[in-house]
Amino acid sequence: MPGEKIITFRIRRFDPEADSAPHWESYAVSVFEGMTVLEALHKIKAEQAPTLAWRSSCRMGVCGSCGMFVNQLPQLACQTQVLHLKADVISIEPLPNYPNVKDLVPDLQPLFEKHTQVKPFIIRLDDIQEMEHPAGEFLQTPEEREAFSQFTYCIKCGLCLAACPTVATDPHFLGPQALTQAYRYSADNRDDGVYNRLDSVDAFHGAYQCHMAGACSHACPKGVDPAFAIQLLKRTLVLDHFGFGKKEAQTAAVLPLADVVKALEEFAPPPRTVK
Amino acid sequence: MRETRFWSLHILVVPLILILLGAHFAIMHYAPIFYAMSVEKAREFATMIERGKSVGQFVIYILLLAAGLYHGLYGTRGILRELPLPATLAKWVDVGMVIFGVTIFALGVYVTWWTFSFDWGG
Repeated sequence: MPGEKIITFRIRRFDPEADSAPHWESYAVSVFEGMTVLEALHKIKAEQAPTLAWRSSCRMGVCGSCGMFVNQLPQLACQTQVLHLKADVISIEPLPNYPNVKDLVPDLQPLFEKHTQVKPFIIRLDDIQEMEHPAGEFLQTPEEREAFSQFTYCIKCGLCLAACPTVATDPHFLGPQALTQAYRYSADNRDDGVYNRLDSVDAFHGAYQCHMAGACSHACPKGVDPAFAIQLLKRTLVLDHFGFGKKEAQTAAVLPLADVVKALEEFAPPPRTVK
Repeated sequence: MRETRFWSLHILVVPLILILLGAHFAIMHYAPIFYAMSVEKAREFATMIERGKSVGQFVIYILLLAAGLYHGLYGTRGILRELPLPATLAKWVDVGMVIFGVTIFALGVYVTWWTFSFDWGG
């Protein structure tokens, strides 16, 4: 194939059942323009190292499964093209700041535990009935959604925690992913749960532990800016503490389901012209 | 207590430290400019005792001591607590910082008060 090139992949291997410590193995692979690191791994597994383990699924940067440390940077293997790395030797390791299960498979348990701690869901204090037995939908204008829109793109790949130097030294730090989601929900006009999240967010290992390195924002494959979200979260906490900018407790603006159906019918697409 | 309170205070004391440190520099290091006095003269024991009797100086140094200690110890606590310490030891870091801060503050207040109330005996 034109443009093919031989690249050496140095992969950190570790099998907990056979190895006492991780070790490096090298594989020479013929790569071509457009080939991703994930494709190269598949080729290595098929032709040279059948026991090589990693985690992947969608192959299109949506599921967030294939995060790994490629040339010392946390990246999604499916989104990283080999030739774009502009290196003849490419090192691949499991994501740092996570326990290693096997080869390139990190244990993402810390990510999900921290994510759970910030209660990443809409909390309504004034309308339990509607939360438990939804009868309609809470209204939100496009402007209100825009306030937190970019932070909803998180795919929980965990690259931001792998990039964060504070997580590296303080394993208890909630980290950019969880804090971003804490802000995402606290900034949502439908949410009243900011006080329910204070125990985890407004604590020593919470928002104020961020040293603003910004590595999380560089690492995020979806363009989310967690460093910015954490600063916005700090501002929210401080203003709230001093009684400014307190979120008005909203009465539930529930649109009855019948009205939702009616609105959908009004905006129904025109009838098909081609059978 | 929420971390926001501690963190906000450590930010809020910064302008206070800048102003009070400015006053300290004016008094001690830029005496030739502000008081038409040589630096050596400004640092003499007799001059310091004389200056220490001023209520303004007393207030400035107590406030500077409190603000500087809080800001510095909050930062030190942050560095120490970032280490992977067991929960009990982390708690002791907090307790130790409070004890250390209160002790140093008490010592500073004592020295400032000693200067403020110094009597030459004549």
